[in-house]
Amino acid sequence: MKYSLMALALGATLLSGNAFAAKWDGGDDLPTNPLPCDGGAGTMAAKAYDGAAVTGSVDKSGKPITLVDVPKLIGIGYFNATTKGMQDAAKELGNVKVTTDGPTEAKIDEQVKFIDNYITRGVDGVLFAANDPVAIAPVLKKALSKGVHVIGYDANSTPDAREWFVNQAQFNGIAKAMVDNLAKEIGEDKSFGIVTSTFTTPNQARWIAEMSAYAAKCHPKLKWLETVEAQEDNILSFNQASTLLNKYGDQLSGLMGMTSVATPASAEAVTRSNLCGKVAVVGLATPNAMKPYVASGCVKSVVLWNPVDLGYAAVYVTRAVVDGKLKAGATSVEAGKLGKLSVVNGSEILLGSPFVYDKSNINNFDF
Amino acid sequence: MSATIAQAPARKWRFSLSQEWLLLIGIATLFIVVGLINPRFVASRNLQSILLANAYVAVAAIGMSVVIVSGNIDISVGSLIGVLASISGALAVAGVPVFFAWAIPVVISILVMMLQGALVAYLRIPSIVVTLGMLSILKGGLISVTNGVWISGMPDSFHLAQWHLLDLFIAAEPGKQAAVPESLSALKPMFDLLTMPVLFMLFLTLGAAWWMRNTAKGRSVYAVGGNAEAARLCGIPRERTLMMVFAVHGLFTGLAAVLFATQPSVIQSTVPPNLELTIITASVVGGVSILGGTGTVIGSTLAAILIAAIGSALIFVNISPYWLRAAQGILILVTVLADIYRRRQRGLAR
Amino acid sequence: MSATEARAPKRLPLAPHEIVLVVILAIALAVLATLSDRFFTLDNLLNQGRLMTEVGLIAMPMTFVIVTGGIDLSVGSTMGLCAILLGYSWKNFGFPLELAIVFALLVGTVAGFINGWFITRLKVPPLIMTISTLALYRGLAEGISQAHSVRGYPEGFYLLGQGEVWGVPTQLWLLVVAIVIFAVILARTTFGRSLYAIGYNETGARFSGLPVDRIKLAIYTASGLMAGLAAWIFVSRVSTTRSDMGTGIELDVIAAVVLGGTSIFGGVGTIAGTVLGLLLIQLLKDGLALTGVKGDATIVVIGAVLILSILITNFAQRRREQGR
Repeated sequence: MKYSLMALALGATLLSGNAFAAKWDGGDDLPTNPLPCDGGAGTMAAKAYDGAAVTGSVDKSGKPITLVDVPKLIGIGYFNATTKGMQDAAKELGNVKVTTDGPTEAKIDEQVKFIDNYITRGVDGVLFAANDPVAIAPVLKKALSKGVHVIGYDANSTPDAREWFVNQAQFNGIAKAMVDNLAKEIGEDKSFGIVTSTFTTPNQARWIAEMSAYAAKCHPKLKWLETVEAQEDNILSFNQASTLLNKYGDQLSGLMGMTSVATPASAEAVTRSNLCGKVAVVGLATPNAMKPYVASGCVKSVVLWNPVDLGYAAVYVTRAVVDGKLKAGATSVEAGKLGKLSVVNGSEILLGSPFVYDKSNINNFDF
Repeated sequence: MSATIAQAPARKWRFSLSQEWLLLIGIATLFIVVGLINPRFVASRNLQSILLANAYVAVAAIGMSVVIVSGNIDISVGSLIGVLASISGALAVAGVPVFFAWAIPVVISILVMMLQGALVAYLRIPSIVVTLGMLSILKGGLISVTNGVWISGMPDSFHLAQWHLLDLFIAAEPGKQAAVPESLSALKPMFDLLTMPVLFMLFLTLGAAWWMRNTAKGRSVYAVGGNAEAARLCGIPRERTLMMVFAVHGLFTGLAAVLFATQPSVIQSTVPPNLELTIITASVVGGVSILGGTGTVIGSTLAAILIAAIGSALIFVNISPYWLRAAQGILILVTVLADIYRRRQRGLAR
Repeated sequence: MSATEARAPKRLPLAPHEIVLVVILAIALAVLATLSDRFFTLDNLLNQGRLMTEVGLIAMPMTFVIVTGGIDLSVGSTMGLCAILLGYSWKNFGFPLELAIVFALLVGTVAGFINGWFITRLKVPPLIMTISTLALYRGLAEGISQAHSVRGYPEGFYLLGQGEVWGVPTQLWLLVVAIVIFAVILARTTFGRSLYAIGYNETGARFSGLPVDRIKLAIYTASGLMAGLAAWIFVSRVSTTRSDMGTGIELDVIAAVVLGGTSIFGGVGTIAGTVLGLLLIQLLKDGLALTGVKGDATIVVIGAVLILSILITNFAQRRREQGR
């Protein structure tokens, strides 16, 4: 499928409704909703609450609660950061206890088993980042039916399997930040490649589809060459990025990393090939992994929400749900030091706009 | 199996050589065909990428080949490499002199492998059970201890894998390429290829091949793998030979881990997924018989290169990487069938 | 044959290794039950049964395969391939769901048959053959699906994986039936005894007139079929089809079989042992999780138990042999 298909982008809004977009490999087929080029807020259709309801839960408002957090996998920088945020929030609140536990590989059946065990063990709430939105649904529904609150963060499940989802940033917001930064660094009429996890990882597929739509609208001369897959594997990411550099030679001016593993590996590949300054790397990554490359000047900017804040918000949201302060139809929720977070898209809580780390501020972060 | 022992190395050498020629022809064909489609595939930069990024697999496959020749298997090797890389990085960051940051993991590797070897040799637990258990212990243990924190900030001199051959002769910052003198500039592409991992791969392969073929100890590995009972009757003790096999395997695994750890600026302290499978595949495709008793390490190194080159070639010819694993599977199968066919021919000839 | 029978283990109700396992299991259950009051409940135990069904089903033919001195590493990939083809044929070929299920089981059977055919006809060592199909079948699953997952099955399809019959998870009934069938075959039939004979001394078995190749072909084919069955249950349990399904399950299965006392060298092993091995691993994982031990530490414990239990049995066996 190297020949990009021309496909009609069926936008959720009239803004993008008639736009034609050349789709990039690795994007999904869902409708896109690119933001305006000038940085204004996009339109968002109001939607009724579409999350699920918990049944048979004991009212514990104001009382101590125990939560379990089951991320996609444990042992990567990103989820270490969300864990830290959760612990921070738990300490602040004082009446919440959170344990993080999960599989060592991003495998769906392992994740399901972990959640199942914790339901049996008896917790007041499950926080999750889904490896697969559908596969995780049955066990989450089981939790809801046993009176366990279910809140997602980072990677969503189907909405009917959880109460709320803390969304780190709107897909189109990330897409805009990525494409704008890339265009700024390499110029409007240059070519680039993408290193992603797999073509079907839901978040990555969504971002690529949104990036494709946004680039078609606001940076039409940017040329996408190829998307390669590298799982969440450091070595494979490095190899794939190197191969892209070798394959396209001078043609390639930029690499986009779609995961917190792919971005540092791409930067490493560019550094090893002595192409710093010739090939720009823009991507999603945690600051610690990117510090060496930002310090050497090989990477100018890194796009990411703050995962510590994401974990922090997830715990606050759960507390609010248990206390009855966040109910269907609410438009915002109070989240400690983050202030008021708004409810979007029916049953999602938006953390905010993506954050851009660069040389000036990256050393202020440690995760 | 027992019949082949009597006519050991000379004949084996010749027959396994043909496996090696087969792999060489495979590699050459791949480079010519893909090079014609996209000349950049054979540019020295891409050759360097392929060799540099996979040299550690080849080095680990040498040790694996020795283990398989002895009639055993090790599925803990990928996890051990992950653990050793983290130890190496952590030591370097803690300010331990770089030589020790390289050497300590190698020593640990030898000790862990000898422990496994002792369980296999003296307590007679099958190697697949021992290493399966060890795989679990190492994998879970690594995350328990490190929490998966990424290790960065190693001193520049730590990055052995980034050294070039010339750095040894011309004082230069490791990692930054030394300036090639005018008189040698024509040879620059060749020097570019000779990075430390590639040199390690070359010398370790040749050294191990020589050891296995020309020393009594090396040949005893074939004897034990071919028929432990017959070997014992010939005065080759199974137990001590297996201890040696695992110690040698530990040495190569340790060196592979150091190459693996000293390449990137950031070490992911988790177990590299499926690494043991890649390493076993390289050994098997290289012509090492899983029944024990035959095979050489030159084949396994060539196979490691071929597998890496195929992965790269698929991108150059725009084939979905999803077919990579299917291609690997067919490759192993074809190799094994070729091996079996040759053995039958040999059987008929006798 | 006569030689093997003379040395075959006496038919005690439980072999020594199984007694070791029962003791370990009893201790583990007692300790875990005192540490967590939610562990030893019917609800939890039944649920654990649901979660271990796939591994259990595949462990049955795997016991046979290992008893004959072989191994099948391709089961996880076969499972992935069957799962993908179940979803793919339903969605893309327009097969009715029932036909898609039959098709998936058929694919599993053929996948197993291919392993068996190469192993018996071309004398490819089982480890090599199944390592190559481990890569090949997974590669086919990824290539065919292009890693697209298939979702949105009708409600009725989920009965097998998520439903209950008479208060017991549906698939657990299947597992129980499979255990009984495989146990009877191994312990009470000529076929079962031939498996021991092959594992103990294949050449001897051949000379005594056993159809060794046909028997081996049959068990590898059964292994593929059970992997297909496990795939169906798994898809029904998690309601989606992905090409990475079953990755690494072969190690879980082999761990259970080996922990159950089946010798990787062949000739020794029982279904009862395998079931004990399965239970021990599943309940240890669950019990430890319920008492607050994290997943990564649990993996370490399982690895240690695996090595130790074999070690204990080996020592016991040697002392008995020396005593003789």
